[in-house]
Amino acid sequence: MATKKKRTPNVHNDSWVVIAADSVIDPQTHGSDPAFVRLRNPSTDGASLYVLASGDAQLYEVKAFEEDLHSWFVGQTVQRDGKLLFVTPMDPLYLILPYLVKCGKEGKFQPVDQVVMDEEFPACSRLLRCTRSLASLHHIAEEKEVGSLKFHRYSEEKTMNWLKKKVERTVVALRNRNISVGEGVKSTTYVRVKSESDYCEEDYLRYGHGLISEYISEDLSKALLRHLQLPELTSPKETEPPSKRRKLSDKPVEAGDDYTKFNSPDFARKPPKKMTAAQKSLAKVDKTGMKTMSSFFSPKVKAEKK
Amino acid sequence: MDIGPFEADNSVSCRLASQIPDVCRVEDCCLGIDEAGRGPVLGPMVYGICFCPLSKTNALKELKVADSKTLSEVERENLFQKLDEAKGYVGWALQILSPNTISTSMLQRTKYNLNALSHDTAIGLVQYALDSGVQLKEIFVDTVGPAEKYEQKLSQRFPGINVTVRPKADSLFPVVSAASICAKVCRDRIVKGWNFSEDLGEVDTDYGSGYPNDPKTKAWLLKYLDPVFGYSQFVRFSWSTAQTLMDSKAVAVHWDDDEEDGEKAAHRQNNKSMLSYFSASAGGNDENPAHQTHRFFTERRLRSLKTL
Repeated sequence: MATKKKRTPNVHNDSWVVIAADSVIDPQTHGSDPAFVRLRNPSTDGASLYVLASGDAQLYEVKAFEEDLHSWFVGQTVQRDGKLLFVTPMDPLYLILPYLVKCGKEGKFQPVDQVVMDEEFPACSRLLRCTRSLASLHHIAEEKEVGSLKFHRYSEEKTMNWLKKKVERTVVALRNRNISVGEGVKSTTYVRVKSESDYCEEDYLRYGHGLISEYISEDLSKALLRHLQLPELTSPKETEPPSKRRKLSDKPVEAGDDYTKFNSPDFARKPPKKMTAAQKSLAKVDKTGMKTMSSFFSPKVKAEKK
Repeated sequence: MDIGPFEADNSVSCRLASQIPDVCRVEDCCLGIDEAGRGPVLGPMVYGICFCPLSKTNALKELKVADSKTLSEVERENLFQKLDEAKGYVGWALQILSPNTISTSMLQRTKYNLNALSHDTAIGLVQYALDSGVQLKEIFVDTVGPAEKYEQKLSQRFPGINVTVRPKADSLFPVVSAASICAKVCRDRIVKGWNFSEDLGEVDTDYGSGYPNDPKTKAWLLKYLDPVFGYSQFVRFSWSTAQTLMDSKAVAVHWDDDEEDGEKAAHRQNNKSMLSYFSASAGGNDENPAHQTHRFFTERRLRSLKTL
């Protein structure tokens, strides 16, 4: 009965349904409303949306829950866009890291405010104002102090150790939250009798690595995998089964199976297999008056004309 | 007949019943089933059963109960009064299916059509009579759908009872006529005093007969169409009259069990074309083909945003 309905594209709306930490709208920092800013996503290298709040002291990432065919009832209005935005705290170091890596190739110590610059995303310099930024730069860079000035140089070794700690902490969180890290999909409403404690450490490490990789470049992700001493998974494409078709060659062709045994004098046919209960009962059926199967394939006998 | 229990919540199904006459528990009885309000787009559908001892069928005939359609509203009310006075040997029970029940049954994911709903309601009422100790020997029913199939269904469900399904049973058997009067009187009373649970202000109750082809009903439906919600629960949403109006005049609402064009639906669900499996290697993502979001996020339908 359902009729075809035309779907019009979602039009822009000026309200959103957001779940955010209380700290985003901290009333103690007056005159500094939280702001959505576009910054370079370290994983995709493209633009993504972030929130800077409390006078740039805190960085948050924005994730949208979005499934087809959802809408909101908000008070007395309907909002067509059924998105749910999550504003969650984020370590600003992830966003600073790509700039340091880029300048690190020159191998020089540089003042960090000259490193974190981006014509495309001018807001990136605000990242350095976050409370955690400058204080935690030593996790990913070597520091040198000359007078009152500080200089930094990217250190892969330090970064890897830092990222490894991040993965380990993620693993702890995954275990505490009972998140399914194994293959296959698990339903949250379906309770298994068997406990899931048999996930091995490697499953957790891999999953944690995958999650952290959402916040670093692909190169770093690969380096981190080596650092965690996890072998790279080979994609199934490379392990495709060999072609079934026989390759043409000049060599004489040998028969794959030996059929000569059927001709040898000591060949005996196998005794007929035992019948299943169903077959037995079928065999007992009264077949009088039934046509044989083969009769259906013989040429038709024309019915006599009356 | 006190329709109070239904009016307390007119969004669900509700059963009203008379006292069971004592003779019905000891003597062999016959039972008639009929319904009122099958066709209208407005208001509830009411199923009624009436039962009395076989020995009293002549007494029932003398009450001059006749097919409810041939009677005026006043005559029906009078006859119902008489039936109520005959409570020494006549019993009745009603199942009120609210328009909301009908809508939600017919429009749910696994469709439950009106015939099935009718049959099950009838079966439920007969079972109620049996559970109350009525000694049923014969059942007479006006047909819903093919008579033979219905008769078979009821006979199988109630072995040992003689079931007769017959078109126009309400004019052939007095006990069915009596059931039809109970059902019709009940429906009339409910429709007249319908308590709109929505805040519609002063509702214009001049909606005619409630049947889809009545111009008054159509005009009323047009007047009370809300672009977002559609209609009051007084309206059966599953009736094509209501659906057509909502499709053309209200905001389009999409459900995930809506039928869509094969290709469009496939596109929406990001299904790959079969052909893509045969080409060399099709790049997946538009922007950065190498980047694949981790399954933690994809499983939870979470993604980063570029703009608000």
